Amino acid sequence: MPNASDTRHPTSTAGSPAVTATEPTGTGATGSGTNRTWRRVARVVALVVCAALVLAFPELAPNAYILSAGIVVASYACTATAWNFMGGFTGYVSLGHAAFFGLGAYGTAILIRDLGLPSFVAWLLAGLLVLLITIPLGIAALRVRGASFVIVSISFVLILLLVFQGWGSFTGGSDGLVVPRPFPDLLRPEHHRVFFYLFAALLAAMLLAWWAIDRSRFGTGLKAVREDEDKAQALGVPTRNYKLVAYVVSATFTALAGGMYALWFGDLDPIFQFSIMLGSYMVLMALFGGVRHLYGPLLGAVVVGVGLEYFKLEFGDTQLHLVATALLLGLVVLFMPDGLIPAAQALVKRFGPQDSSIREVTAAELLERNRAASGTAGTTDGDRDEPADAAGTGRSEGDASTGGDR
Amino acid sequence: MKTTVETGRSLETVGLSRSFGGVHAVRDATVTFQQGKINALIGPNGSGKTTFFNCVTGMIKPDSGTVTFKGHDITRRSPHRIARAGIGRSFQLCRVFPRMTVLENLLVAVQPKGLRDLLSGARNPAEIDRARALLVRVGIDHLENSEARNLSYGQQKLLELAGVLMGDPDTIMLDEPAGGVNPALIGRIATLVQELNAEGKTFLVVEHNMELVMSLSDHVIVFDRGRPIAEGPPETVQSDPRVLEAYLGV
Repeated sequence: MPNASDTRHPTSTAGSPAVTATEPTGTGATGSGTNRTWRRVARVVALVVCAALVLAFPELAPNAYILSAGIVVASYACTATAWNFMGGFTGYVSLGHAAFFGLGAYGTAILIRDLGLPSFVAWLLAGLLVLLITIPLGIAALRVRGASFVIVSISFVLILLLVFQGWGSFTGGSDGLVVPRPFPDLLRPEHHRVFFYLFAALLAAMLLAWWAIDRSRFGTGLKAVREDEDKAQALGVPTRNYKLVAYVVSATFTALAGGMYALWFGDLDPIFQFSIMLGSYMVLMALFGGVRHLYGPLLGAVVVGVGLEYFKLEFGDTQLHLVATALLLGLVVLFMPDGLIPAAQALVKRFGPQDSSIREVTAAELLERNRAASGTAGTTDGDRDEPADAAGTGRSEGDASTGGDR
Repeated sequence: MKTTVETGRSLETVGLSRSFGGVHAVRDATVTFQQGKINALIGPNGSGKTTFFNCVTGMIKPDSGTVTFKGHDITRRSPHRIARAGIGRSFQLCRVFPRMTVLENLLVAVQPKGLRDLLSGARNPAEIDRARALLVRVGIDHLENSEARNLSYGQQKLLELAGVLMGDPDTIMLDEPAGGVNPALIGRIATLVQELNAEGKTFLVVEHNMELVMSLSDHVIVFDRGRPIAEGPPETVQSDPRVLEAYLGV
């Protein structure tokens, strides 16, 4: 009987294109030790320089406007990084993360107003509330994948927008809600300075958490969901629970960023807090920088955030800043589909030494290896006593593989 | 036949049915797979083999019937729990994690025990050693740092097999291991299956390559229109008139 599947072309023969192997990472045995140490040193130096720049920014900022723009960019960096706990690890694109931003912001404000809690206690409590709310929400939303999940995520933010606009007696509605200032004695510039550092600290905490998950087994499981969810399940990864945890962590961090924004800005309006635009910015910034990288969303937030502020200044009250941002994003999607960081890495690699190509094991190598490991293969083959005809065919095929494969 | 101590039944289904709309993909399938053997599942295209496969591994919930594994009812368990119970599987069109390295592909299959383990580093030296040993075994250890998408189709098949082995299942279900693979590699896969079987792994192989099925398997089950129509040793099944009718329509 003919082999029903032999219409597909096997690609494992010598004709396979030479593809460059990726560089060894982490414990890769082939990576030269000095090179790795060098890279680690470079990474630490870069980290220290960036941290120093961030810390010095309020001093370097020439005026209060630049400083407040810096805070806006820092808050974008927080939301994009928070989004990336879900979007980057699991590949589930939520366009409605502004829902959690708004809940965190309004939660903080209302807890201060109605319960008289200290500002930062209210902020933490609002984060905790969002954590609890997103558990059932996540269970419901994560029943669907792909485009359906995107739609469900958008629905959250739209529903909340209507609720917060309509329920004016509780939320202030479209008149807005004034958030009591956490540091009433501070002057404006000082207030900005403090909040720039608070956002930076929140961002650092998120980056640390993202890094810890990225290198953990939990992170490996999440990334497997992004690559192929069914396959991950078949290998024993409890994908539903993993996704839910990532979703809750992502939403909670987004809410904390929202609460921080409320305390800084001091005035909330549903149209801005529960806006599709804000949710889209998170996605676009993360994609812009590269969702597979720790600093991807941060870099995207800096580029897009600075761009947005600049275009707003250039084009004033028109909506042209959105057009300019869209063009920028279009260019990146066209020419750097994986984001800025991978594009830069590819560029660096092009000038670096070329790695060896992928090739098949030659017959000689395979024979050599089999000889080296002769103990196991030989005895197991011998132990089988099957019907002569069946075993005979099987063995001859097996031999053909060792002799003929290249 | 091979003389084994345990020829018990590890995996069996009773009255398993699943339909999609009006199509009865699997109907009332009662099948017992022999433990410690290489079981083959064959049948014409559309006879319900893959649906049956998916029902057993929990990827699709059956409409009725039961699946038992080592005496436990696993019918409505989720796929990851079935995998953890000791049933590993490959997919019909080979599936790997394309943007992960070959080594990372294997590390996904490591099962964390408890919260601490879950949050500890994924690159555990002992597990990396085990993964490397498996890569050596299937012959793609020189590619451990390559992204899986850069591998050839045959190499991906070997990677998928190594990934299944990483979970240390005692029953391995392979959906068309020889599909789309060159003859030399088919031989290599066949040898691997035989070696693993000699080490005590039970196999359940869906395959269209009859030469391979007849040479490899101890026990053949033939599916037609969603249910088993014949089973037995390969030589008996080959001459069974019902099988000839299903395949050739004579």
